[in-house]
Amino acid sequence: MAEATSIVTLKGINKTFHRGKEPITVLESLDLDVPTGSFEALMGPSGSGKSTLLNIIAGLDRPTSGEVKVAGANLAAMSDSQLAKWRSQNIGFVFQSFNLIPVLTAAQNVELPLLLTSLSGSERTKRVQTALRVVGLEDRMHHYPRQLSGGQEQRVAIARAIVNDPKIIVADEPTGDLDRKSADDVLTLLDKLNKELGKTIFMVTHDPNAAEKASVQRKLDKGALQ
Amino acid sequence: MVPFRYNVRSLFVRKVTTIATALGIALVVFVFAAALMLGEGVERALVSSSRPENVIVLRKGSDAELSSSMSQDVLGLLRGNSAVAQGEGGGVIGEVILVITAELEGKGESQISNVLIRGMPAEGMKFRPEARIVSGRAPQPGTNEVIVGKAIAGRFKGVSEGGTFELRRNRPLKVVGTFAADGTSFESEVWGDLDVIRTSVGRQASVSSARVRLNSPADFETYRTTMEADKRANVKVQREADYYSKQSEQTSGFLVGLGTVVAILFSLAAMIGAAITMNGAVAHRTKEIGTLRALGFSRIAILVSFVLEALLLALIGGVVGLAFVQLLALVSFPVMNFQTFSEIVIAFKATPNVLISALVFSLVMGLVGGLVPAIRAARVSPVEAMRG
Ligand SMILES: Nc1ncnc2c1ncn2[C@@H]1O[C@H](COP(=O)(O)OP(=O)(O)OP(=O)(O)O)[C@@H](O)[C@H]1O
Ligand SMILES: [Mg+2]
Repeated sequence: MAEATSIVTLKGINKTFHRGKEPITVLESLDLDVPTGSFEALMGPSGSGKSTLLNIIAGLDRPTSGEVKVAGANLAAMSDSQLAKWRSQNIGFVFQSFNLIPVLTAAQNVELPLLLTSLSGSERTKRVQTALRVVGLEDRMHHYPRQLSGGQEQRVAIARAIVNDPKIIVADEPTGDLDRKSADDVLTLLDKLNKELGKTIFMVTHDPNAAEKASVQRKLDKGALQ
Repeated sequence: MVPFRYNVRSLFVRKVTTIATALGIALVVFVFAAALMLGEGVERALVSSSRPENVIVLRKGSDAELSSSMSQDVLGLLRGNSAVAQGEGGGVIGEVILVITAELEGKGESQISNVLIRGMPAEGMKFRPEARIVSGRAPQPGTNEVIVGKAIAGRFKGVSEGGTFELRRNRPLKVVGTFAADGTSFESEVWGDLDVIRTSVGRQASVSSARVRLNSPADFETYRTTMEADKRANVKVQREADYYSKQSEQTSGFLVGLGTVVAILFSLAAMIGAAITMNGAVAHRTKEIGTLRALGFSRIAILVSFVLEALLLALIGGVVGLAFVQLLALVSFPVMNFQTFSEIVIAFKATPNVLISALVFSLVMGLVGGLVPAIRAARVSPVEAMRG
């Protein structure tokens, strides 16, 4: 029953890295269900594997073994290039350090995911404007990242994450580099995306304030969810 | 595709590195283009813009006009063939070619060099429509009047309009005009009357070479076979174009070869420079590349993007190099023509071919230098986007 309304289903996920000869097991027999439309926060000590788990959900990385079903797709069965295309259509990314391309303007950064679609130039411009309006930065369209504050940069990044209308937004410590006020703005925005636009949000965070905004809090420790 | 302005601006942002790398490429393109321009200049000087139906006849066993000598009677044999064109500008002309030494103007007595003198019948000028008088006038046939090619006009004492110089003791030649001939080596010659010149040197009733105009280029093979088979004539028949290109190969080969070798050696350094620059760009932008990959850009898109960036970098260098090399078009210098042992003046000559070749060369450098870094970029994992 949970299956039908789950947007993320992980079963028996193992992830082992190799540092030289030494294997490091980061995730072990991990199961996870994320219901469609939820806002989840993942917490846990440093090195516990939060980012690793998020990367697997977002199709950036593959588990050593286990089943990954996200937004109806079986990620394990997909090639690297299929996975890239799938990410562009299904996942919006929000990074701790914003990851805007410094040589492109806010609008050009937001437009990037649309370049992978067949939308016309005018259609793209319209969508970019809409996304920037959602984050309240329509007037900063032609500014470069270095001309924006950290909080504004992160909001541009959020506009970039939603411009393709993805089903899921993954955020790895989205407030980690921000002051309290900017962090609150970003969290309010994420909350709005969840409540008003129905986006499923999966957020890794160290910040209890941030976790509080989420509807579900999970804790990862020693490779397993508590 | 990753937008091209991403690459343009990325190059622009790293101004110093970009300029340094582009200048390295510019230097190579300069050397390469200079070598090609020299080649074009030599070719232009030696390969007359001759018509395809023109034929040059030398004594069998001679490679060049200067070493050839035939009896005047041969001209009659050459004329007696229906393939020979009649009328204005047609027919057969016999010429005598000789080299004299002359003092260079304003360089003191010890400085001498060779000047090539060509004696031709009155129809000689008509036979070469590219030749025209640019100042003074044409010489009177049957007199000791001569005209000088504009490339050497004024280089030698007395060998300029209004001057007089001695072909032999007490055999003065009077310069009455200057001519141009489309930049060919004719411009490094002195032209005068066939009979006056050959009698002055005691070569009456003989010619060095003959030029024949055929009715059609298609007549060449038959004409050649017939004439070369004629024992009385004892001649070698070649298309003018073939004769000149053989000459230019020998003379230009060394200069162009040397230039090309230098350019290729330099290009290795420039390619390594481009590779280092692009490699630095990739290393510096690992997180950006990871982000683009996370957003869904494919490995191919990243590869293409960085190759384009390297090509753009190389193209900037190429254009700068070509801009500087244009200055060489102002330079000309004398070289020894090893066929005639006389001086001809070579100018660096930029043709569309040279420009295109040089730009292609710069792009090849960009491609070779940029490929490995671009492959490295394409292999950046999207996980890099997440790293702090
Ligand atoms: N590519 C890799 N190669 C080797 N080890 C890795 C690699 N990626 C992650 N690890 C290791 O896996 C473990 C979990 O890393 P991960 O980044 O998922 O932790 P995290 O919970 O996100 O920590 P933090 O809160 O500090 O961000 C760490 O011990 C880390 O060193
Ligand atoms: Mg982490």
